[in-house]
Amino acid sequence: MTAPGPRRSTGRRLALSYLVTLWFVVTVAFLLPRLLPGDPVQALLDPDSIDYLYEETLRAQIEEHYGLDRPLLEQYLAYLGRLARGDLGESIFFRERVVDLVAERLPWTLLLAVPSLLLAAGLGSWAGVQAGWRPGSWRDRWLTGGLLVVSNLPAFFIGLVLLLVFGVELDLFPTNGAMERFAEDASLGAVVVDVARHLVLPMAALTLSLVGTYFLLMRNGTVALLGEEFLTVARAKGLGERRIKYGHALPNASLPVFTQFSAEIGLAVTGTIFIETLFAYPGMGLLMFEAVGARDYPLLDGIFVIVALSVLVANAAADLAYRRLDPRVVRT
Amino acid sequence: MTAASVPVRVVRRRSFRVPSRVLAGLVIVGGFALVALAAPLLAPYDPRELVAAPMLPPGGSHLLGTNDVGQDIFSELVYGARVSMVVALSAATIAVTVATVLGMVAGYLGGAVDRVVARTIDAMLSIPRLPFMLLIAAYAGGGLLQIVLIIAALSWPVTARLVRSEVLSLRNRLHVRAARGFGASTPYVLGRHILPAVVPVVAAAFALQAGRAVVMEAGLAFLGIGDPTGKSWGLTIRAALSYPLIYFGNAWLWWIVPAGLCIGALIVGFTLLGQGLEHWVNPRADVPSAT
Repeated sequence: MTAPGPRRSTGRRLALSYLVTLWFVVTVAFLLPRLLPGDPVQALLDPDSIDYLYEETLRAQIEEHYGLDRPLLEQYLAYLGRLARGDLGESIFFRERVVDLVAERLPWTLLLAVPSLLLAAGLGSWAGVQAGWRPGSWRDRWLTGGLLVVSNLPAFFIGLVLLLVFGVELDLFPTNGAMERFAEDASLGAVVVDVARHLVLPMAALTLSLVGTYFLLMRNGTVALLGEEFLTVARAKGLGERRIKYGHALPNASLPVFTQFSAEIGLAVTGTIFIETLFAYPGMGLLMFEAVGARDYPLLDGIFVIVALSVLVANAAADLAYRRLDPRVVRT
Repeated sequence: MTAASVPVRVVRRRSFRVPSRVLAGLVIVGGFALVALAAPLLAPYDPRELVAAPMLPPGGSHLLGTNDVGQDIFSELVYGARVSMVVALSAATIAVTVATVLGMVAGYLGGAVDRVVARTIDAMLSIPRLPFMLLIAAYAGGGLLQIVLIIAALSWPVTARLVRSEVLSLRNRLHVRAARGFGASTPYVLGRHILPAVVPVVAAAFALQAGRAVVMEAGLAFLGIGDPTGKSWGLTIRAALSYPLIYFGNAWLWWIVPAGLCIGALIVGFTLLGQGLEHWVNPRADVPSAT
């Protein structure tokens, strides 16, 4: 991750590797439909599909419309050109532009995923310091054991249990969608409360599925710090235990947590897909699930490119921020 | 404490004690492996056969009741262990083999080969995994073989990076340089000196990969990718969720929860085994490995 070498070349290498990845993503999204069975027009040609086209001329027209009758290189260049203009094509199922669909769904996903990630990192770090401060104590054992199990359960199972217990049995929170259908004159306050209530269970599930990694990193980071001299100095200065724990140990153990935070952005996407599908939460994850079910290939390709691009940008931003946080990365 | 004999004994005893995490992992994974092997003996019914009235509660001759078409849920779970074990072991075998070969060759040869492999690993790792899997599965189909191949194709980079960095530190050790100096060929050095040294790391990685494969298979099944008539734990949960009345009554307690716990337990088993081995091999590297 942290390539040695002077600052400039490190930065350039980083930029290069992001560019290579970007090219890889875009090319994969182009090649997959053409390499594997499951042609974009297969749904139209498959007699089992509701979209089956009986008319031969119409099928040929569709093939021409999607440019599938032209040479591969020409198709590739046309595809890159469209991407550069921000054109991701049109969804077969929704009959809308992919860009518009994504713009409609992305805010919901961000509303769900960003607070969950922050919450998981915060809670995990806090619990990690608690456990790592006294390694081997009963608190450490229970937290480590419990979170090991929780973080190993699939996100959809955690969500399912929360849904069934708190949504169905106790009927405390809504289990479906992001908000109720409101009359025109509903007050803003009522809408906010409703959106928040819909967010509780999906967010809890996503947070739980992400919290374990942060916990373990922070716990091990804290354990590794225990004998360090700066803690002894802090103690010798007469600082309180709380001050030492949170003011001195926590910041020093949190660098790996930050690295993980950027690596976890990709993982949060995975969790989000499961959680959104389970709670019918109208974000990108549910959209992807719907696209898989409807065999909506242009939509699937478009979402893949957008999601991969977002994760890349987030990783690059975290990389840059990390360089600021830890001057040692740059110095050599 | 006298200096002469005690330390020697301590060292010897330590190196032969199997860590409790490894032991716990072995017990769990071994247990599921036995269930998978002995499935026809353990399962009271054929999981595909309609053996009783639908939606029976647990009790009597049906330990966990029956599902919406009248198949025995307990038998389904027993046979589900087979799917999970097969997917886990075969996907992990393919992924770890590819990773070991690529990591060793790249790390040892260096130069252009290494740069290409390293860039590919970086690129693969920064692509969000699940959307990529869904995309491939949507085109390739969701049969068992496809699922194994998809999981393997997306899992090898994590381990390849690990093996590569291990080999980078091995290649300039004295015994390796000596072997090269005496004219040993590259395949000989790789097979004789490098491979044995990376085997412990690879073994730990194998267990972790197997655990991740279980999660992925269950996840893909949950999202509706896979043979809907198949009998894996993820597909059982999927089937239960698509039963329209699942949120009424208690059926979820014996239809969904046991399947979820099986998935969780097997993953925890593989993770304990992998982390325990990792710690055993390198006690200082006690951090969760990249996912």
